Amino acid sequence: MATAIPAIACLGVIGRNNNPLHTTILPTTTDPQTGRSAPLRTPLQFSLLLSSTLDIFESRARHAVASNTLLSGDFGLLHAVDDRLAAYGFETNTGVKFVAVVDMRGRILSGVKPAGTGGVSSPAVTAYVRLLQNPFYDPEEGAKAGQLQQKRITSRRFAEEMRRIGDKWVPGGVNTL
Amino acid sequence: MDDYPAGSLDHNAPLLVVSGLGTGATKPLLADPDLKEQGILIRSELPPIDGREAKAILHYIQEADATSWPWNPTETTKKYRFKIKTIGREFLLPPRRARLPDDYEVPLSPPVLHSPFSPLSPGSTLYPDGLIDARWLAKHQELIPSICLCFYSLTTDPSLATLHDNRLKTDINAVKHALSQSGHKCRLAVVILSDQAPGAMEPFQERLENIRRSTGLDPKTSLFVLPTKRSEAELEMAADSVLSSVFTQATEYYRDLGRRTRKKRGRGVAPQPTIPPTSGTSHTLSLQGWNVRYDFKAAVFAEFRQDMEAALRSYEQAYESLFGTDVLEMVPSWSPRFNDGRLLADVIAVRILRCLFWTGQSTAAVRRWQAHRYKLSDFLDQRGRGTQNYGWQAWESRWAEVMARLVEKAEFPELEPSSLNLFRAPEKALAAERLQPWEMLHHPGYWYRIAARHTLDRRKLAYSIPEDARKPPDPTVASKMVVNTYNSYDTYMCPEPYEEYPLDGQGTDHAQKAITHLNLAIGEFQRRKQKRLAMEVALESSIELERIKAWKQLLEFLTPVWRVMSFRSENWWNLTEALSWILRKAAAHAGQADLVIAIDWELMNSRYNRRPQWQYDINRSLEGVEVEETPEVSLNDDAITSFLKSSFIFKHGEGRAGQTCPAQLAITSKAISGSAPVVLDEIHVEFEGSLRALHLEHESSSKQLSSEPRAMVVTSPSLTETKLDVATLPDDDSEEAPSAPHIMVLKGHDDLTIAAGQTRVFEVDVPLREAGEGKATSVRVKLAPGAFTLNYTMKLREDNSTGLWYVAPAKRRVTRTNPLSIKVLPRPPKMEVKFVNVLKQYYAGEPIHIEVQLINEEDVDANTKLDVHLYGQDVPHFKAHAEDGSEDKSSAGEGEEAKLDGLTIGKIEASKSAKATVVIDPINRPTAYDLTIKAWYTLVTDPGTHIVQIVAFQLNIVNPFEASYDLVPRLHSEPWPSVFYYEAVRELDDSDGSFSRPRGLAQKWCLVTRFGSFATEDLRVVDLNLQVKGTQGGVVCSASKNQTLPDDGILMAPKTMEEARFDLVAQKLSLDDRNPSTADLEFMIRWRRTSADPASTPNATTFLLDPFYVTVAEPRVLASVYYSVASSPSSPKSTTPATPSFSSASPQIIILDITIENPSSHFLTFGLTMEPSDEFAFSGAKTTSLNVLPVARRTVTYRLMPVVEGGSWIKPQIVVRDKYFQKVLKIIPTEGMKREGDNIMIWVPGQDADDEKGEETSEE
Repeated sequence: MATAIPAIACLGVIGRNNNPLHTTILPTTTDPQTGRSAPLRTPLQFSLLLSSTLDIFESRARHAVASNTLLSGDFGLLHAVDDRLAAYGFETNTGVKFVAVVDMRGRILSGVKPAGTGGVSSPAVTAYVRLLQNPFYDPEEGAKAGQLQQKRITSRRFAEEMRRIGDKWVPGGVNTL
Repeated sequence: MDDYPAGSLDHNAPLLVVSGLGTGATKPLLADPDLKEQGILIRSELPPIDGREAKAILHYIQEADATSWPWNPTETTKKYRFKIKTIGREFLLPPRRARLPDDYEVPLSPPVLHSPFSPLSPGSTLYPDGLIDARWLAKHQELIPSICLCFYSLTTDPSLATLHDNRLKTDINAVKHALSQSGHKCRLAVVILSDQAPGAMEPFQERLENIRRSTGLDPKTSLFVLPTKRSEAELEMAADSVLSSVFTQATEYYRDLGRRTRKKRGRGVAPQPTIPPTSGTSHTLSLQGWNVRYDFKAAVFAEFRQDMEAALRSYEQAYESLFGTDVLEMVPSWSPRFNDGRLLADVIAVRILRCLFWTGQSTAAVRRWQAHRYKLSDFLDQRGRGTQNYGWQAWESRWAEVMARLVEKAEFPELEPSSLNLFRAPEKALAAERLQPWEMLHHPGYWYRIAARHTLDRRKLAYSIPEDARKPPDPTVASKMVVNTYNSYDTYMCPEPYEEYPLDGQGTDHAQKAITHLNLAIGEFQRRKQKRLAMEVALESSIELERIKAWKQLLEFLTPVWRVMSFRSENWWNLTEALSWILRKAAAHAGQADLVIAIDWELMNSRYNRRPQWQYDINRSLEGVEVEETPEVSLNDDAITSFLKSSFIFKHGEGRAGQTCPAQLAITSKAISGSAPVVLDEIHVEFEGSLRALHLEHESSSKQLSSEPRAMVVTSPSLTETKLDVATLPDDDSEEAPSAPHIMVLKGHDDLTIAAGQTRVFEVDVPLREAGEGKATSVRVKLAPGAFTLNYTMKLREDNSTGLWYVAPAKRRVTRTNPLSIKVLPRPPKMEVKFVNVLKQYYAGEPIHIEVQLINEEDVDANTKLDVHLYGQDVPHFKAHAEDGSEDKSSAGEGEEAKLDGLTIGKIEASKSAKATVVIDPINRPTAYDLTIKAWYTLVTDPGTHIVQIVAFQLNIVNPFEASYDLVPRLHSEPWPSVFYYEAVRELDDSDGSFSRPRGLAQKWCLVTRFGSFATEDLRVVDLNLQVKGTQGGVVCSASKNQTLPDDGILMAPKTMEEARFDLVAQKLSLDDRNPSTADLEFMIRWRRTSADPASTPNATTFLLDPFYVTVAEPRVLASVYYSVASSPSSPKSTTPATPSFSSASPQIIILDITIENPSSHFLTFGLTMEPSDEFAFSGAKTTSLNVLPVARRTVTYRLMPVVEGGSWIKPQIVVRDKYFQKVLKIIPTEGMKREGDNIMIWVPGQDADDEKGEETSEE
């Protein structure tokens, strides 16, 4: 019997001011009408989902301040939205957040037992760092004005990299990226 | 969860029936009329106990009812868990055996009767092949108590004791018997209440023992004695211990029942029903089915015992058997037993979940929840009607809701809202496993949300029901075919398709169901501070509200979210947009015009996606919206970020008042391309500081800006200063409002049309009026297309970005940082203010005239006003007037500061001057003042700008004179009143009306003042004056000038001295008053400057003198001298008093009078001795004795003839001695004499030595 294993449904990069920087949505299910692979939710729903993880980032940050625990890096499981989708988070020292929404039955794999969920954050962070190395990219652009929007990431290369990470990721398979 | 039969899912706790405490009517346990008829009555004859203690115990026991306790073992402060029912003295037990049906023919062998709840009894709903239902659960939970706790009282009256006790015994035995006869194994526990204290129970022991023996009750387990005479806490403790021991009995009871069930199961045969089924199918319950029933029972009994692990095992077993061979799979899906079986499966699954929660296995519970779902879905796919129907989604929704409720009831401390945890960590047993994220037990909010989602799926499926299935069945046509079509839908716990989604009429309200769940979820999320997730769910909920067109509700629900949503501030534009469109639709339907406008205004920003077929024109926003009145909307960019962006820049960082500074206001529209151009009605720029607000008004121009909108248009409207009534201002938050009825604004007109993507630049010259910092703070635009008024305020934010100065046509040039503010420097004044005719020195006592000259060096005429301020200690009043004398103003203020504001000087023509004079009142003491003159002026060409010139002047005021004083005694020429003149005495007596006339002793003095000029220039002293300002000690004092000044006064050079003498006569008012008295004197010099007009009023410098003694009470000796020519020594008339002007030639004889005054009331005797001398010869007594009467004076006269050269001093040595006190009295010299040591000296006039003598005469 074919086993469903987790696959990334959505990768989100959220800026320091909780502003969305980048969203990659990957198809993890099949459209019952056309039979083609399709995303599990609409882009709007994924946006809402990414936004809702900010609550948890905030809450954990407050908790970390209160208990004086070092706050950085992998937040692990943020929450499971339902029995299929779960959000995992990572926050860099500069407050940029990476959210991976994993569809627990996102990929059909015949015969192979899933080895569990592995980290997705480090390749995404690597991609982001590569983006930051671009001297023409200013992550703080527009952020100083407070109200004015911070620019979304428009780099095509970064988008492709994120898509590749989402596609290639298998549970526990960090090294393959 | 409420959909399940009542009690089927509840946690079971032993039923405890409390009898004999309450007197009130209680609800009977057995309500079923059929069973009631056959019920077994358990009744006690004794009356119920009444009283305070009984009530307290009852209340306490009722409190211990565990029905509403959370479903977890944490409530372990009490060792027992009961469901408590209170009854009066009687209750009904259900029948043990069911009756046979009435129409049944009695067979030969008596039929085996079973419980009415069993599938074996023909009357049961389960007959013949049902498994088990909620009625059986209700029987044990509601009807058959494990323990019947009876309360009795023990009488203390010894006379009634035996009677009472016997009745008690009989009653207990009767109840006991009734219980055992009923066939149920209920246990009886008896509590005997005694109104004694616990220590005083000794005398009753025997009676109690008697009762125990004759009732056969065990004092440890079933007979309790409760002395009630103790504190409430102790009473509660006692009741507690009773309940604890009774609980052990209860568990025993349920253990027995469980044991019996297991025994039945162990038999391994399916029991035969009382009557074999004849109607319908003749199918009876299989052995496997019986095993399910027995396992379920065993599990429930274990739950009654609170043994959750045993219960869990039995439930699992029952569940396995249910889905195993021969049970559910044998039931056809059209049979009602199929849904009964599903219900039982759900009930068992819920109970399994509860047991898992109870034992803390939350992750196992989630897995179990999933497993049941999968199991059922597989089962339905194979045996039932599949899962692609609304019935399955209805169940899914219910199943998620059940989980939410279970989590709520379990009350995990880790999932408390205050802990802010979203999910519970897995239990230890599973912690090492790789878990799915969902297997961490999340809080109920997530479960409710899933329930809502399934409801929506249910609707989707319901809407796909074909039309013929949605027709209500025709009752006349009982076609089998129709029934079959109905049967093809899964209607387990949900309505038939024609009710779910009828062709006409209201079906199931899916939206409302979903909203209920979503709202529950929102509550849970909000409690855990998941505000964004709550907002997300709110959005889902509002989509449903939109669907059911509950606009009002939607508005109330979404408007607060819309106002503060973090989506907007955190740039989640797609989310903002989604929410706004829904709200707009609701607002448009509900006629909330302001909201519609606000949302339209916001959504015109090009960062939002274009909505197809949407007319982006703010002016037409309200089309199709019903409004009652023209709405007025005020928005600001804190709340709503729209498509207009404004910036402001001053070209220069500094400017001077009176000049203008070029500035640019740029408004950029980022509206969606293709949207209609926005015509602003007004633009207001508000400034902070000294700048005036800028108002631009729309004026449609002939030029067609809109035909070919350029990316940037620079126009420069001209500005005029206009007075604006504050009252007409739209926002009256102006702080100046109360003080100023109108404010000045800069007004301009221009075409204010902005097309999408266009930048409009308005270049204006801002006139700078007052010095100070000026800063543009906000820009407000106003739209008034007629249907509404919209005010949109944009704050001008100070950021680090450099300002841009736009240069037409499209170039921009970076200028400077911080372009919003300008520093306005004051305009340099060109008005010279000078003090003219300033004197070298100002003196106390003279009015000070200061002339100010104002020279207008500006190019144009200036309207000028003066402010004069004088600072210092005790500033005097002053006056000021302009040269033309048109205005004469006095100063206001006292103490430290006096000021005179706004002296109008009038118009000073260019390069002309004007004068003003300040006159300060005379000051009486040396001091210093600061005089500040502030000249305000405006130029006739620029009346708005005030220019200020300030000049300060220091005034030093000194005293022109200083003076010193001596008071020397003189001999009063008038005789003293004599006691021998009775006329004078009588006059004293009878002249009543003349009290004021002094009658006391008079003494005469001479005040010698020497004053020097301290001025820096010559001053002319015009007059000298001595005034008696006041006296103390009942004396009248008068001063008179001793000498006269020349007519034109004395001209005093600086640093010269002059002397003046004044006679002073003091007379006591009363003769009897002999106390010394003093006088306060004031010396005044009248003078004027040499330069002053001789006719002008002289200045007066006054000196206040220290008080002088003008009468003395002690006796004194006064010496006076006369000069006489020797030829006529006897003629006193020829004598002349010694005056400085005396100038006779060679006086020969000097007459020396020694006068002794005795103002005291004693009779005094003095001895007088005159020593002979070489310097003169004398006649008179050399030694004599003198008696002086009280209040009298006597004079001894000596005639001296000097033998020395004229022009020298002689020193007669006279000693006056008080005979009684043997004290030498000092002789006081008067005019023409001086003192040396103790002696007096007398001048012998020479030929020409008068002047010399006059100067040297000095007396003490």
